Amino acid sequence: MSRFHPLEVTDIHKETRDAVVVTLAPRAEDAAAFDFTQGQYLTFRREFDGEELRRSYSICAGLDEGVLKVGIKRVDGGAFSTWANEELKAGDVLDAMPPMGKFYTPIDPSAAKSYLGFAGGSGITPLLSIIKTVLTREPNSTFTLVYANRQMGSIMFREELEDIKSTYLGRFSLIHILETESQDIDLFTGRIDAEKMDALFRLWIDAESVDTAFICGPEPMMLTIAESLRKHGLSDGQIKFELFASSQPGRAKARAVSKEAASAGNTCEVSVTLDGGTRTFQMPKDGSFILDAALDNKMDAPYACKAGVCSTCRAKVLEGEVEMEANHALEDYEVRAGYVLSCQCIPLSDKVVLSYDE
Amino acid sequence: MTNESDTMSIEDYLAKGGKLSSPENVPVRYRAELMRLMSSFVDSELAGSAGFADAINQAPGIRERIAASRIVLEKAAHAEKVLDLMSDFGTDKAKYNQSHDWSARGPRDTHVDTRRQGGDMRLSVFHYPLSGWADACVMNALMGMATVVQMDEMTGVSYAPLADVIREIAPVEKRHMELGLEGLERLAEGDEGRAAVKEAVAYWYPRVAETFGAAGSDRYDRLAKLGLRHTTNEDLLARWKADADARLAELKLA
Repeated sequence: MSRFHPLEVTDIHKETRDAVVVTLAPRAEDAAAFDFTQGQYLTFRREFDGEELRRSYSICAGLDEGVLKVGIKRVDGGAFSTWANEELKAGDVLDAMPPMGKFYTPIDPSAAKSYLGFAGGSGITPLLSIIKTVLTREPNSTFTLVYANRQMGSIMFREELEDIKSTYLGRFSLIHILETESQDIDLFTGRIDAEKMDALFRLWIDAESVDTAFICGPEPMMLTIAESLRKHGLSDGQIKFELFASSQPGRAKARAVSKEAASAGNTCEVSVTLDGGTRTFQMPKDGSFILDAALDNKMDAPYACKAGVCSTCRAKVLEGEVEMEANHALEDYEVRAGYVLSCQCIPLSDKVVLSYDE
Repeated sequence: MTNESDTMSIEDYLAKGGKLSSPENVPVRYRAELMRLMSSFVDSELAGSAGFADAINQAPGIRERIAASRIVLEKAAHAEKVLDLMSDFGTDKAKYNQSHDWSARGPRDTHVDTRRQGGDMRLSVFHYPLSGWADACVMNALMGMATVVQMDEMTGVSYAPLADVIREIAPVEKRHMELGLEGLERLAEGDEGRAAVKEAVAYWYPRVAETFGAAGSDRYDRLAKLGLRHTTNEDLLARWKADADARLAELKLA
C-alpha cells in the first residue's frame, strides 16, 4: 500500500508568472521509496478548510539530476495550486505518496529510437523528465517536442529547453506553437488542430519513423493529437497519454467536516467481530471508512479491492447507523439484510457494532 | 493552450475517445466499473489457470504436458499483471489471491447463473469442472477463441495502462488458444477421439457463448459511455461464433 511520507521543500522558484518549480527532499529512510521513473508523478495531500485535497503533479526532473522536482501551475480557483504558488516556501514540509504513473517507455541504452512529444502548457512537466532522461540514457535516440502555449511569457522551462537543445545538438528538436503570438512561420501560430497536425506531419515530422509518441496537455488537445497520430499510421500501443494536472477530479477523500465538529470529540465507538473475537475502538466521524479504522487497530479484516467492487470486505451491521460511499457488489436484498462493504462504510451514529462472521 | 475554456469534463473527454492514465485522474464511478472489469479478468485468469492444473497430469504426451503447464503458468502471470494495476488503486495483491479458492468448481450439470457468484468475479464458464483431457482441450480452444475476441475489445479500453497490459498479453493468450486447437486436431484424428471431442463441444459451446453477456445489456451502455467498451455483446458473440464455427468445421467437428 502506498502511504504518505513527508518531503521537505528545499527550493522553490517562480518559473513563469503563474507557475513554480518546487524541489523536494525525502527523509533518508524514505529515499528508496522516492526513486522514480521518468514521467511519473507525485500525489500530495493537504487540508484546506477541513477538507483534505489531493493533487498530483508530474516530476519534471530527469533521472540523472539526483533530485525530486515538480512544476505547479496556478489554476484559477485551484486551492492547492494557488497555495503552492503564493504561500509555499523553502523549509515547509509536504505530505506525498511515492512516485506513481506509467507515462514512460523502458529505457534501453542501445536503442536508437525516434520519440515525439506533445505538451500543452504545464503538460510539459512529465515530458521534460522524459526528454532529459532519454537524451542522457539513450545516446542514439532522438526527441522532437511540439510545445503549445498561449504566449511566449507563459512558456514553462523555456530556458532549460534551449539549454537542452544546445547540449544535445541534432538530437533534440523543439517546435513552439503559440496561440496568440505570431511567429516567423505561420504554421507555428494558433491552436493545434487537425489541419495544423497534418501540416506538421507534411513539413516537419516524419510520422513513419516515430517509435513512440507522448502527449500531455488539456483534454481537447490530446484528443486532436491522438486522432491525428492514428491517422498518420501510429498504433494505439505507440501513443502514451498523461492527463493534464488541472483536470483531476481531486478525489478529496475526507468529506468536509468543520474543524469544531471534528475536534469536539465527534467520534464513534465501533465494535468489530472477526473470527469469533470482538474488538472495540474509537474512530473519528470524518468520512473515514470502518475497514481502514479496523486495519489501523491491527485487526486482520478481510479486503481486496477497497473500491466497493469485490465484496471481500462484506460485513453485517448489527447495531448503529452507517452509510456506504459506493456499492457495486452487494445486491439490494443483502443491503436490506444489513450487509455492508466495510471498505466503503462510514459511521453515522455514535456507536456501531459490525461483524465479519455473519 | 492552457486557458480555462480548453478543459472539458472527464465524461465528455471519455465519450470522445479520450484515455485516462492513472488512478489520480479517474472519477469514482469510472474507478468502480474499471475495477469490476479488471476483477473479472483477474478472477477468470486465476480460475482458468487453477482449473487447468489437473489437465497437466491428464496430458497424453510430453508435448501436451508442456503445453498444459505453460497455460497454467502464463494465465497466472497474466492475472498478476492486471492485479498490479489494481494495486495502484489500493488492492492488496496477496489478500486478493487468497480471497477465493480458484480451483473450486460447481457440479458439471447444474446451470450457473451468468451473474457474479458472491465476491468471485470469474466468468460463469470457469465455474464448470473439466472432465479429462479432451474436455480440457475443447474448453481451452473454445474459450481461448472467446478470449481473443474479448481481449481485442479490451485493447480499446480507455484506461491506458490496462490497454497496454492487454496488448502485451494478448499474443500469449492467442497462443494458448492455438495450443488447444492443436490438441483437438490430434484428438480428432481417430473416430473414438472425435466422438469424445464432439461431446465436449456440445457441452462447452453454449457455456462459452454465455460469457459474452446478454444482448442489449444496460451495463454495456454504461461502460460504453466511459470508453470501457466499444463493441456490443451481440457483435462480439457473433464474431466468436463465426470464428469458432469455421475452425470446428475445418476439423470436421461441427
